[in-house]
Amino acid sequence: MVGCSHHASAVAVREQLAFTPEEAAEALATWKAAHPQCEAVLLSTCNRVEFYAASDFDALPPCPGLLARHLADAHHLELDEVRPQLVTLRDEQAVEHLFRVAASLDSMVLGEPQILAQVKEAYELASRLGAAGPLTHGCFQTALRVARRVTNETMLHRHRVSIPSVAIADFAGQIFEDFRAKQVLVIGAGEMADETLRYLVDLGARKITIVNRNAERARALAAEWSGKAASLERLHLELAAADVVISTTAAGEPIITLQTFRELVAPARQQRPLFVLDLAMPRDFDPAIGDELGVYLYSIDDLAAACDRNRAARREEIPAAERIIHEECQKFFAEARHRLSAPVIASLRQGFDAPKQAELERLFNKLPELDDKARQEIAYFADRLVNKMLHPPMESLRDESKNGSPRGLLTALKRLFQLEG
Amino acid sequence: MNLSGVTIACFASSYAVSLALEVASLRRRFGWHRMVMLVFAAIGVVLHLVYLVNLAQGAVTPLASPAEWYLMVALVLAGLYLWGSFRWPHLTLGIFLLPLVIVLVAVGWGASREPFTAQRASLVWGQVHAWSLVLATVTMCVGFAAGLMYLVQSWRLKQKLAASPRFRLPSLELLERINSHSLGLSTALVAGGFASGLALVSLRHQGEANYSLLADPVVLGLAAMQLWLLAAEVFRWIYPSARRGRKVAYLTLASFGFLVIALGAMLRTSSVHQAEGQLSVVSGQVPSASGGNANSFTTDH
Repeated sequence: MVGCSHHASAVAVREQLAFTPEEAAEALATWKAAHPQCEAVLLSTCNRVEFYAASDFDALPPCPGLLARHLADAHHLELDEVRPQLVTLRDEQAVEHLFRVAASLDSMVLGEPQILAQVKEAYELASRLGAAGPLTHGCFQTALRVARRVTNETMLHRHRVSIPSVAIADFAGQIFEDFRAKQVLVIGAGEMADETLRYLVDLGARKITIVNRNAERARALAAEWSGKAASLERLHLELAAADVVISTTAAGEPIITLQTFRELVAPARQQRPLFVLDLAMPRDFDPAIGDELGVYLYSIDDLAAACDRNRAARREEIPAAERIIHEECQKFFAEARHRLSAPVIASLRQGFDAPKQAELERLFNKLPELDDKARQEIAYFADRLVNKMLHPPMESLRDESKNGSPRGLLTALKRLFQLEG
Repeated sequence: MNLSGVTIACFASSYAVSLALEVASLRRRFGWHRMVMLVFAAIGVVLHLVYLVNLAQGAVTPLASPAEWYLMVALVLAGLYLWGSFRWPHLTLGIFLLPLVIVLVAVGWGASREPFTAQRASLVWGQVHAWSLVLATVTMCVGFAAGLMYLVQSWRLKQKLAASPRFRLPSLELLERINSHSLGLSTALVAGGFASGLALVSLRHQGEANYSLLADPVVLGLAAMQLWLLAAEVFRWIYPSARRGRKVAYLTLASFGFLVIALGAMLRTSSVHQAEGQLSVVSGQVPSASGGNANSFTTDH
């Protein structure tokens, strides 16, 4: 693997090397045309550009310089300009790295869910173009399985870490079962309110009211979200009717004091639950309102603290995720090494089968009085004998593969039994 | 397979393991945690059912003794826990429901196994009475668990504690709905149970001059619970804030308190209740037609 990521490369470098899906397809097609024996997958996200290449055990491994040149050429950059920014990982290191990437252990935001889909897309693109082969199939399919195991067996992905997602999923979602019939009130207009609204709309919120000092801005936002605009004078009435409030004004002091809430809003609400997300700084709602019955008031600090707790909770899951990756790596490498011995095993079996067949024929010619049943029994006996003789070397090969490369044993077997290849 | 040897300890220990795993999951979960937890709960439910079927064999009617009655309530609650765990796999329901199940099983274990006599003429009334009160108890237990969950959830939200994958409760809106429905439903079921109990009493003690309904603590406990439930319903009807939030949760908790008093009265006095030849309003069974003294009670075995 040759590539760069957020760990060691600045965003400017990653931008230079990033591929759109079309560019990635073109780069893979060019690679395949130039190196038909070498499999390749190109993973390009906003945080990383990684070019994975693999060749058969018998062929020479792909040269990192060649991979780096291909990345540079695809962007019409000088190799010397790009090369210092790139990291090279080989064999086991590259496979383990891919597993960690797919499981989002290598992500900028630990446990972010998008990376799995991005790895899957990169692999599917390479498969569609025929750039992926048996080695990359095995490697990427295992990586996807590892990522799913990490998702299912750890809590790594289950703690949300962005303020709008925590606000809605971890707080508002604990108050309301369903947002379809809920009245959402947005006071002011800010980027974070916009993002929070997006979450709410995804959850089915339809009744949206925008209150803003600037009526035109309110109308524009309301049109964008298929809601309605209301004047600031109606704020108390809208608050009384609301279930969810997102407040992001730039007012210098609270726009809703405790007294205002008690006198103008609370009597009309009759303790109906109210979720208030106060994203303004300084705050729009007097914090004491949060102590009122049925009111659940959250400021940006409350949510940031929850996000920090969730980040810490994700970090606690790292050892469990690392264990899964280690386990899967061991398994993957043992299987890969064992596959190395497949041709030798086939030759060995052939080496035993040919004399067995010859001896059987000789015996049957010598004993023509044997009936079919007797012949079958003798053939069965010969098969069992060959299998039993082959069993110990095969077991030894399997054991050797678990601990490292079985090349030494394979060479010995080839010499002992005079196998070809 | 011979299942006649199933004992209370079998299913009680299954529920206990399931509860222990629920508690352990607050700290740490292993790969098969949830499956093992549900398998133990399911084994518990199956053994529980087998035990009740074994117990009912030979009895004239189901729910023939106080022990069966408690165990039936526990079974329905355990079944609800199992269903809820499949329906909402991410929620922490066992912590609230399984202790109730285990307590009811323990009470059932200690409760009288002496069956009440049955009178064919009153069998229908007896069954209506018993099942109404079983379902009312289940409803109130569910309401109690939902009320507790509401208070915990509300407290957590006020303390700005985000939902965690290890401890997640239903939304306040859903809990409020469950609380509200459980109050309404238990009022109707207790009323049904109480009315059918009165019908049984009038059948049993027709023309008896020395019988006093007010001397039976179970009847009094049940009457108090009925009055409380009716008062709570009226309160909710005239005061809108009492239909929402913590107030509904408090009402269900208080109702459960009345239930505990009524059940306690039944548990403490059930033997006396039988021995005196009075009708057990809760058991739903009718003494034999031969008389009103202690000796007149016959077993159905």
